[in-house]
Amino acid sequence: MPALPSSSPFPQALAACADLWRGDELGAADGPARPTGHAALDAQLPGGGWPVGALTELLQPAPDAPLWPLLLPALAAAVAEREAPVVLVGPPHEPFGPALAGAGLPVQALLWVRAGTAAERLWACEQALRCAGVAAVLAWLPQARAAELRRLQLAAARHAALLFVLRPEADREGASPARLRLRVAPSEGRPDQLDVQVLKRRGPPMAAPLALPARSAHMAALLAAASRRRQVAAPGTASAEGGATVLRLDPRRPRRASFQEAGHALAGAVVAA
Amino acid sequence: MHWLALWWPPEPPEPQAPAMPAPEALGWWALRFTPHVAWLDEALLLEVAACERLWGGRQALMRQMAAENPAPVPVRRVQGATSLVALARLRLYAAGQRPPQQLPAALPLWTLTAARPHLDVLARMGCHTWGQAAALPRGGLARRFGPGLREALDIAWGLRPERHAWLTLPETFSQRIELPALATRAPELLWAAQRLLAGLRLWLQARQRGVLAFALEWTLDLKRLNGVDLPRRQQLVVRTAEPTQDMAHLRRLLAERLALTQLAAPTGWLRLHVLETAPWAGAARSFLPEDNRPGEPLHQLVEKLSARLGPQRVLRARPQADHRPERMQAWVPAVQAPPAAAPAQEGPGTGLLPAWLLREPVALELREGHPQFHGPLRRLAGPQRLEGDGWWEEGEPARRDYYVAESPGAGLVWVYCERASAGMPGQAPRWFLQGLYA
Repeated sequence: MPALPSSSPFPQALAACADLWRGDELGAADGPARPTGHAALDAQLPGGGWPVGALTELLQPAPDAPLWPLLLPALAAAVAEREAPVVLVGPPHEPFGPALAGAGLPVQALLWVRAGTAAERLWACEQALRCAGVAAVLAWLPQARAAELRRLQLAAARHAALLFVLRPEADREGASPARLRLRVAPSEGRPDQLDVQVLKRRGPPMAAPLALPARSAHMAALLAAASRRRQVAAPGTASAEGGATVLRLDPRRPRRASFQEAGHALAGAVVAA
Repeated sequence: MHWLALWWPPEPPEPQAPAMPAPEALGWWALRFTPHVAWLDEALLLEVAACERLWGGRQALMRQMAAENPAPVPVRRVQGATSLVALARLRLYAAGQRPPQQLPAALPLWTLTAARPHLDVLARMGCHTWGQAAALPRGGLARRFGPGLREALDIAWGLRPERHAWLTLPETFSQRIELPALATRAPELLWAAQRLLAGLRLWLQARQRGVLAFALEWTLDLKRLNGVDLPRRQQLVVRTAEPTQDMAHLRRLLAERLALTQLAAPTGWLRLHVLETAPWAGAARSFLPEDNRPGEPLHQLVEKLSARLGPQRVLRARPQADHRPERMQAWVPAVQAPPAAAPAQEGPGTGLLPAWLLREPVALELREGHPQFHGPLRRLAGPQRLEGDGWWEEGEPARRDYYVAESPGAGLVWVYCERASAGMPGQAPRWFLQGLYA
């Protein structure tokens, strides 16, 4: 019997096999994956993006904790490509359409299901997954059990939709059938950053959480300009009312334009500062 | 002339089996093969001499009928030169007897409907087969047994033309059935309604239409209950967005609606009639596999969710032109609002808006003049002033200064300060939370 080479415990033929996944490297995705829009995160996920047709579990410290900057690029791309809506099952608040439209997710592509009880949410979620005309499902399921998540996972596997289940951080230690589990929370001490830690994936454990921007580019620029302005003005004496841009709404102009005008005024303030 | 006799054995008693359509509906199904269809006693008779070549011959036609059988039980198919011969052979087949060699002379007399009242007398006369009865003198036979028997024998031999009440397809669908037992709760109607839906499907297929709305109506068995006059009947209208022939979806909608319905009194009769149909176009399918996604269409999902949760809880946004944030979008029930092209809301200002909106702004507590939300708020940007005179707007005029603020416990929030109006100059400014950046 020939001796195995000492450098590798596996024979060469086995190492060349495509289906083989070694624990110290990132595994391949079973199905297609959709890029997340954040290159640093794509590099950490098997398949290079959110898995399509599989359950992705996101753990949050609170149901309304920052989330949209992480998901919006992929959701906008999915909606644009499939021309199908995103179903929101039991969101904590009313989604604000103009803000999401600003990030590329049109208002018409939202279907808001105000399901109250846990059973209704699960049912609505499963029905949405069975539908061919749905691009993505976002479900807030704080009370779901592992068996129920498993059911959703099987429903997702039959149809090609993105499925994100938002769960409280307290369930971090519990078992989950999700193939991909992430913890998403605002950074300690850096409010403009979002810590994304991959808790479970096909690959080695993640050493340090990934920092992603928690705010849109517009908002980051506005806040930077405002803080610079505060530093320039004499500290302590500056009143917040001092820099107010008063905008009279003119009834003869279409009202739609007036709000955008306000946006221009703010954007102008950013440039001026 | 060539006749086929079709017969469906009684339904199996399994509760899970799909419902058997009404006999009338089975006739509509048979109309797709030939225009000459009639019910004769227990069998459905089809005259196929003129049409069998279209179906590739007799055998191919029989196989096609077995394959497209709309009932949950297999259909028995028997042929004959005349309708009575086909029917007699069918009866022999159902009784488990082999048909005789000589047709129709050797057929037993009990298989002839017209001879059934006189079977005993004929047997005492030594007549057991059609041939023996036909050999009796015509005049005497007609005097003794009436003209019906002699006429039936002539028809069986093809000496007389056949007269049938041919089935036709009605212009509108309206069917009525009696329930096997009085129903006291609405979900009990579902089983009987399934039979009606099975008939509706056959009618739609024959008419090449898809249903958009139908009404299920039940007749109440009581006129007064607890001193209250009851209406004669109650009804339930089910609508769908796209014309459909898919009874599974309609059945689901009906089940959800019936689960929420209260019967005013027990009922014994159920009627289903179609309110609105549209030409059936079928589905356009693509050759590319990625375009043919498995699963149901979106409107079915919306209708299903709305039927169970209520239309007020399945919502779609409609953008509106307004500068007040709570009026920039209206959420309308998704079943009523097909997604329409709306003005794009991607302006330069939209990047600064929060993703969650509080429709009812939360009044913030003030501590030493500073608004509090999970701790003291720190203003980061603003103000952005919103001011309208209000006379051309609906609702309250808005005089607000918006700020982006940071809360120690809740991150970035969107708050506004309501400025005192001109009428009340002395009022202290009030602070409200209207959005969360998440």
